[in-house]
Amino acid sequence: MIDTKTNITQTILDALTASGNKVGYMPDAKVVEAIRYVEENGIPNNKHEDYKYCNLEAVFRKDFKVIGNKFNSVANVDVHKLKNAHNIVVINGEYNESLSDKISGIKLSTLANAGSELKAHITKYANVNSDAMVALNTAFCSGGLFISISGIREKPIHIINVVSAKENAVINPRQLIILEKSAEVTLVESFVSENNSGKVFQNHLSEVVLNENSKLKSYRLQNEDENSHQVNTVQVDVSRYANYNTNTFTFNGALVRNNLNAVLSGDLCESHLNGLFISSGAKLIDNHTLVDHQKPNCESNELYKGIAKDKSTGIFNGKIYVRKDAQKTNAYQSSKNILLSEDATINTKPQLEIYADDVKCSHGTSTGKVDEAALFYLKSRGIGDENARKLLLQAFAQEVIDKIEIEELQEKVIKLFEKAL
Amino acid sequence: MANEILKEHIDNEYKFGFVTDIEADTAPKGLNEDIVRFISKKKNEPEWLLEYRLKAYRHWQTLTEPHWAHVTYPKPDFQDIIYYSAPKVKPTLESLDQVDPELLKTFEKLGISLEEQKRLTGVQSNIAVDAVFDSVSVKTTFRETLAEKGVIFCSFSEAVQEHPELIKKYMGMVVPHTDNFYAALNAAVFSDGSFCYIPKGVRCPMELSTYFRINASGTGQFERTLIVADEDSYVSYLEGCTAPARDENQLHAAVVEIVTHKNAEVKYSTVQNWYPGDKDGKGGVFNFVTKRGICLEDNSKISWTQVETGSAVTWKYPSVILKGDNSVGEFYSVAVTNNYQQADTGTKMIHIGKNTRSTIISKGISAGFSNNSYRGLVQIRKGAHNSRNFSQCDSLLMSDKCGAHTFPYIEIKDKSAIVEHEATTSKIGEDQIFYCKQRGIDTEKAIGLIVNGYCKEVLNKLPMEFAVEAQKLLAISLEGSVG
Repeated sequence: MIDTKTNITQTILDALTASGNKVGYMPDAKVVEAIRYVEENGIPNNKHEDYKYCNLEAVFRKDFKVIGNKFNSVANVDVHKLKNAHNIVVINGEYNESLSDKISGIKLSTLANAGSELKAHITKYANVNSDAMVALNTAFCSGGLFISISGIREKPIHIINVVSAKENAVINPRQLIILEKSAEVTLVESFVSENNSGKVFQNHLSEVVLNENSKLKSYRLQNEDENSHQVNTVQVDVSRYANYNTNTFTFNGALVRNNLNAVLSGDLCESHLNGLFISSGAKLIDNHTLVDHQKPNCESNELYKGIAKDKSTGIFNGKIYVRKDAQKTNAYQSSKNILLSEDATINTKPQLEIYADDVKCSHGTSTGKVDEAALFYLKSRGIGDENARKLLLQAFAQEVIDKIEIEELQEKVIKLFEKAL
Repeated sequence: MANEILKEHIDNEYKFGFVTDIEADTAPKGLNEDIVRFISKKKNEPEWLLEYRLKAYRHWQTLTEPHWAHVTYPKPDFQDIIYYSAPKVKPTLESLDQVDPELLKTFEKLGISLEEQKRLTGVQSNIAVDAVFDSVSVKTTFRETLAEKGVIFCSFSEAVQEHPELIKKYMGMVVPHTDNFYAALNAAVFSDGSFCYIPKGVRCPMELSTYFRINASGTGQFERTLIVADEDSYVSYLEGCTAPARDENQLHAAVVEIVTHKNAEVKYSTVQNWYPGDKDGKGGVFNFVTKRGICLEDNSKISWTQVETGSAVTWKYPSVILKGDNSVGEFYSVAVTNNYQQADTGTKMIHIGKNTRSTIISKGISAGFSNNSYRGLVQIRKGAHNSRNFSQCDSLLMSDKCGAHTFPYIEIKDKSAIVEHEATTSKIGEDQIFYCKQRGIDTEKAIGLIVNGYCKEVLNKLPMEFAVEAQKLLAISLEGSVG
């Protein structure tokens, strides 16, 4: 058993090394540490508690033992752009300056060109010894993207991640986003694919730093094709008085695993994590969240909703960790799911780990079907079965969709939601 | 004020921490095939049972200890445990006079006087007791009364001799010897336990009860309980445990199996009060048990109620496999941890049949430096149409050094199922205590009141005699833990 484990991990490490994507900015010691961690722990499979329902090893074994890492060129991404935002384009994991808008007043570059700030922050938040996928990204990350924001930005920033693989590919894009003291910004991230002729595994990692009193409102829209697999790790550090708000919408992709970790490292700060997904076909959508309350008087909220169709699997795993010093913590978490087919599966695991006593923490999760009584009510008023169901599901999702404050994006999400239904 | 109360509590010693000096017939320390054969021979067991034990032992050797639970403890040295310790009693007991008087005294201290039970014979509301002392069942009361109804209630080893066909049929049906590390160990070395069979259409006239006590030093207790309820029958079964206060950790690895046939119901209640270790976390019992029931046929019901106040480390998940259609599983639990106790407890509800229902109510209370976790699984298998589950896990934190955790796993593969889970963690509200105090109720009593109210949903499910004991235990366990 141990042999096969090292074999598949080693094969993947060799393949990634051979595909040669060395970047200069990652300290050598970290790369060595990261590779050692992957070698010791292997690619996560269902024996790893955190990947119990999401066997990545099997995915790698099936499609990514041999990696061509050849890509198509993408010349036009206009359809994905938001009109009322600064658009930044990342193609196959590399920042594309010529397709991106010029934005004055912020620092924007590849990670390699990030200068002195890079050293102060990189790998400081996403610990290579915490997760094999973080370690893999650390060892093999691409050119990456660095954004640093100060002051209040009215216009949202939109990062478009386009993937177009010619042959089976594994990419490890990396982002470092810093909000300076009292900075405020809205950030949208879209994940899309164009004409994938090969399968692609995107192991995306973001380190996000919210300095004192800063405010980040972020959206992630995941709508890749069925050749795309994605692990999306977001490691957020929230300082004193800061406010982190994120909304994740997942509509397509063969496998989407989101690791969203918010560390509330200062007092009196807050985090709001929301999500909505629809899984269909044989897809697997896995939302993992961790809210780590380290300091007193913080607040965290979570609302995740999911709909599983066909033979798909939807997973929610939310962990709230309240440390000894984090007195007066208020933490709330809710996960609601609907199963639409006989063959679909929903697995949820809401976890609380609490070491402080003066806290108010609660979580609730429910899984069920469309409410028969509500359905009957609508039908008795002349609405057909199909439309009535659609209406109810829309109402179910609306609570999360309503949180979108950008009109253009909201319309897009509603369209994608209706299409996915 | 707070310190005084706390001190008072810490000085409060484990009230069952006495040792009975009875000559015991013990096996040498350690475990190998010879020990397994020794135990089997001592019990005069048939060949097939020895084979079963050896098969389990060989399988156990291939296993490693589980480490997934949210507990830390020194790894028990399995070669440093005495696997068999029987008090030297006469082989057959016709009346209580023949029971070792020392033993009777022990039971009196425990509050289950066999004498008194005997004296009150004839009173319908009585409880039949099977007392397991160290590893051997000492005396089962009311056997004759029960026999009239056809109810079999005896020690496991007697059942092996007298009802081998039942044992052969049901043993290992719910918890096979391959189930987990401790279940395999138990299957290899189990020394005794209780066996209970309720025949078709019988409503057991009294509550059945087993008392377990570890006495001899360095012994592990490995008992096995098997309850079978045949069609249309009902039984309420109680289990209690104590152990003397010792510095070293004692191991308790039991297996409980419940099988219900069509329309049958088993209600299983436990008050677990093993020695929890002293205020510095020294000593105490490691309680690693596997308890599982199966609703084998339609319309049957299994209900677990547990009050967990003892043990240094608890690792226990009474579960129900809902195989028959319309079957019902229930789990009501209060787990209290104080000082350095650790508890990782919860349940598994496996829905296989149609229209199956399960309810989980878990109340955790942590105080001192303790850690208290709820770990549960609700699984709706494909085809378990219209299944329903409701889970509620609440935690109460009584100090700033303790921890309360929830690890629920919910896996659903049927679209017509409805599953709900909710959990809260908080401390006793200052406004609640203030309210009581301004009505002249002191802090200590107010806490008792609030905690009892908090646990009421579970305590209400206990049989009356047990509920009173459980309330007292709660009060003792938590005395002074909040100032």
